[in-house]
Amino acid sequence: MPQNADNVLDHFNLFRQPEYKEMFENKKKNFENPVPDPELERVREWTKTEEYREKNFAREALTVNPAKACQPLGAVFASLGFEKTIPFVHGSQGCVAYYRSHFSRHFKEPTSCVSSSMTEDAAVFGGLNNMIDGLANTYNMYKPKMISVSTTCMAEVIGDDLNAFIKTSKEKGSVPQEYDVPFAHTPAFVGSHITGYDNVMKGIVEHFWDGKAGTAPKLERVANEKINFIGGFDGYTVGNIREIKRIFNSMGVEYTIFGDNSDVWDTPTDGEFRMYDGGTTLEDAANAIHARATISMQQYCTEKTLPLIANHGQDTVAFNHPIGVNGTDEFLMAISRISGKPISEELTKERGRLVDAIADSAAHIHGKKFAIYGDPDLCLGLTAFLLELGAEPVHVLSTNGGKAWAEKTEKLLASSPFGKDCHVYAGKDLWHMRSLLFTEPVDFLIGNTYGKYLERDTGTPLIRIGFPIFDRHHYHRYPVWGYQGAMNVLVWILDKIFDEIDRNTNVVAKSDYSFDIIR
Amino acid sequence: MTTLANKIQDVFNEPGCGKNQGKSEKERKKGCTKQLAPGAAAGGCAFDGAKIALQPITDVAHLVHGPIACEGNSWDNRGAKSSDSSLYRTGFTTDIGENDVVFGGEKRLFKSIKEIVDKYDPPAVFVYQTCVPAMTGDDIEAVCKAAAAKFNKPVVPVISPGFVGPKNLGNKLAGEAILDYVIGTMEPEYTTPYDINIIGEYNLAGELWQVKPLLDELGIRILACISGDAKYREVASSHRARAAMMVCSKAMINVARKMEERYGIPFFEGSFYGIGDMSDSLREISRLLIERGAPQELMARTEAVIAREEVRAWERIAPYTARLTGKRVLLITGGVKSWSVVAALQEAGMEIAGTSVKKSTKEDKERIKELMGQDAHMIDDMTPREMYKMLKEARADIMLSGGRSQFVALKAKMPWLDINQERHHAYAGYEGMVELVAEIDKALSNPVWAQVRLPAPWEETSWEERATKAIEAEAASLAADPEKAEAHRRARKICSCRDVSLGAIEDAIASKNLDSVAAVGAELGAGTGCGGCQEKIAAILGEKAGAGAIPASIAA
Repeated sequence: MPQNADNVLDHFNLFRQPEYKEMFENKKKNFENPVPDPELERVREWTKTEEYREKNFAREALTVNPAKACQPLGAVFASLGFEKTIPFVHGSQGCVAYYRSHFSRHFKEPTSCVSSSMTEDAAVFGGLNNMIDGLANTYNMYKPKMISVSTTCMAEVIGDDLNAFIKTSKEKGSVPQEYDVPFAHTPAFVGSHITGYDNVMKGIVEHFWDGKAGTAPKLERVANEKINFIGGFDGYTVGNIREIKRIFNSMGVEYTIFGDNSDVWDTPTDGEFRMYDGGTTLEDAANAIHARATISMQQYCTEKTLPLIANHGQDTVAFNHPIGVNGTDEFLMAISRISGKPISEELTKERGRLVDAIADSAAHIHGKKFAIYGDPDLCLGLTAFLLELGAEPVHVLSTNGGKAWAEKTEKLLASSPFGKDCHVYAGKDLWHMRSLLFTEPVDFLIGNTYGKYLERDTGTPLIRIGFPIFDRHHYHRYPVWGYQGAMNVLVWILDKIFDEIDRNTNVVAKSDYSFDIIR
Repeated sequence: MTTLANKIQDVFNEPGCGKNQGKSEKERKKGCTKQLAPGAAAGGCAFDGAKIALQPITDVAHLVHGPIACEGNSWDNRGAKSSDSSLYRTGFTTDIGENDVVFGGEKRLFKSIKEIVDKYDPPAVFVYQTCVPAMTGDDIEAVCKAAAAKFNKPVVPVISPGFVGPKNLGNKLAGEAILDYVIGTMEPEYTTPYDINIIGEYNLAGELWQVKPLLDELGIRILACISGDAKYREVASSHRARAAMMVCSKAMINVARKMEERYGIPFFEGSFYGIGDMSDSLREISRLLIERGAPQELMARTEAVIAREEVRAWERIAPYTARLTGKRVLLITGGVKSWSVVAALQEAGMEIAGTSVKKSTKEDKERIKELMGQDAHMIDDMTPREMYKMLKEARADIMLSGGRSQFVALKAKMPWLDINQERHHAYAGYEGMVELVAEIDKALSNPVWAQVRLPAPWEETSWEERATKAIEAEAASLAADPEKAEAHRRARKICSCRDVSLGAIEDAIASKNLDSVAAVGAELGAGTGCGGCQEKIAAILGEKAGAGAIPASIAA
């Protein structure tokens, strides 16, 4: 027997034992009605062809390996950016377990989030009772300062009215009348996680600025010098927000991070469990109405929130997840223009260092072909940076990107000779990407953890940038914004390029004549 | 006199070196080595020179007898490629400690050799002397001799401790080691009339392999390359070659010359860089072989290959020339490359904005003038501000240089391409020139250079504007104050090695009636270091002679 109590093999080794191998083979032969190997091989090869690609792109209904997540996930992300706030998801609890594990796997931190745990009878009779009980229990058990309500599909399909439900719950004494319960409808069958983020942000702005669902007077804006900053749904939020704070401080600009997840997903291990840590204070969230302007780092994460803010009389500026020299330049100049404060010497030096680093290494990136997939803003930011580096993006794909995004990306590509052979794919999935990688191969693929299957199938080395990153630890601690952030992205790209050179030269006595210590 | 001192003296008395033969007996005794100026940033040491010259011999164990510093810093740090063994990439050192310094490290060295022989059984062990054991008096020659006898294996002492001089001297001492201990100790399995040695080629980035296929096609066999991608046996039996080509002009001339002397192997000095040079080298190889008895028809075949390859190379370069024509290149490199690359770049339609001549010999400089005209912009040592001024005046589009100058280029906001030893692309042969042109084209079109040349968008004045202002302000202040201007003129340093200013030389010429470079050297030491400023001193003497009377201000 391959497995015995004295020496228990784990899955890495157990199924490689001859007994198991033989068993698998027999099982396949006798019970799996297998096709002959040559036929299997033929079809496998066929999936790599132009002909298959055509059929693949003619797909109308089925999505295979989508590169996006659902609205409620983004909703939970947005809710967690506020002080002592617990996201309350009205709907089925299974969904909520997903969001929590999704974030915890990425950030390696616990993620607090509750559900109204709707069941079959709630689906039939409506979820009001679940809301009433749920808010009361959450309020009493976890003592949050705010409960931010969003929904899952279940509640949306039956048409639960959050505004009315919350009002009723307050009347029934679940939470005090003046207690903050902002809400947003976030069905997964509309949009993606970035839509959910947008809806919750909009809900919170409305709640605090526009009279808390009729329970308080609307706020009057008295303009001050502050700048609001909204990061958008961002897997690098821990590193990014801290970097953004450093940048604001360096320029002496007064600011409010509107939605600050940086400490929530990075609590210290010092003997104290922090269910809540950091976050934008509720006072700051309310006072943000007085700011001179609001900057959104991700246009497609704030498509509804930003116009709402603009309606309150503020200037608004949206970026597309800026990465690199030009992107950061524009971001800093916008801050400088709005605040009237010059860009600090410290940041100017960092800029020079980034340019220096790019120049040191440009030769290795120059002309390398890349495929990118991810959220629409991230794709734009990465594409712009690659063009700056002299790399050639070839496929840019965003499952949750729309027509406007595609046009914007094409315009960006047209601005550089390095973008001329690139195509943009909005609404396509990773199975489309697979066909693209086979029929128009590239040197490197940039995407999230799910890209590892593409890496295995197509042999295209994967540079992990995006959300989620499950199979590598702690990247979320590094910023990708600011000059320092661009430096990180540069290093990640270079690391993979050099790893590849090493991998291609490390066969002893075959290719190791180029296995050099200096690259 | 110690054996090492004798050896160094012997190396300096190099009839193959034109520069050396131009010197007086007394000067020659002093050696051609540039004494390192204390306090100035220095180049490599003799140990490093020896190590890089021999390390490319791939199947040998290179054992460095010294503290960790020497092997730790030199371990596998060059891109010399091997087609077979990778033993040369394993770092062997005795890593001596305090006890070895106090009690001597000979036993440790012997044991180290034994362990290498036991574990790796290489065809030979090369043992490198370094400063510390040389000072404490470890007799590595004796240890090597004993080890060789005991293990019945060649154990070659390479006596080139760092303190004896610069890298170039180390190259030569390494050459001496293989002349004394390796070359001629084995016989090739067979010989042909087409056997050649290539000396001073290190197969960096695999450059030798870009040339070798053409030689293979012509039936010319590289009996030994010293030392790129070489095996011990090849070097040991290299004395049976019919002819030799010497590639790197200064590094191993003693090896080529002594092999001619001892074994009658004629050699020529050539280059694989540039299309014309490559063709010349192939012709020269064939000519020498024919002279030594190879059939006459070899030349016709050689010419056919040259004609074919030149056409092919031109065809492949043609698509780039449109983009590269008129682009101005600044070369910051040394020695033979300063002219061999010039030819190559001109072939691709580029203009040479300037070239550095820091490590070049007088002949190198002559070649540059031949290629670029008398007004060739030759750059000696430069301060950063002079460099900036030069770059600006030269209006260069790209700078080609070695790894160490790379960062100067970058700070000066210049596109840059590496053409020295740490480069990652091979530029030798016809193939290499196409590669070089492609790389230059890439470097010129990389978007980062546009970025590099722009100030941050919020900066009101650029780095260049500030530098220009500073230069202008300085010029203006000098123009306004003749005394200060004169002081500034006189302060100009002529001899960097001995730190002698123009003023000091003028004063000495005036007060002591000096009339020759040698006399100035005897009086002030100027021009007796590397000798690079002798031309300038001659010019000062000429100027003064031409001017007739010495101005009273200086005479007084």
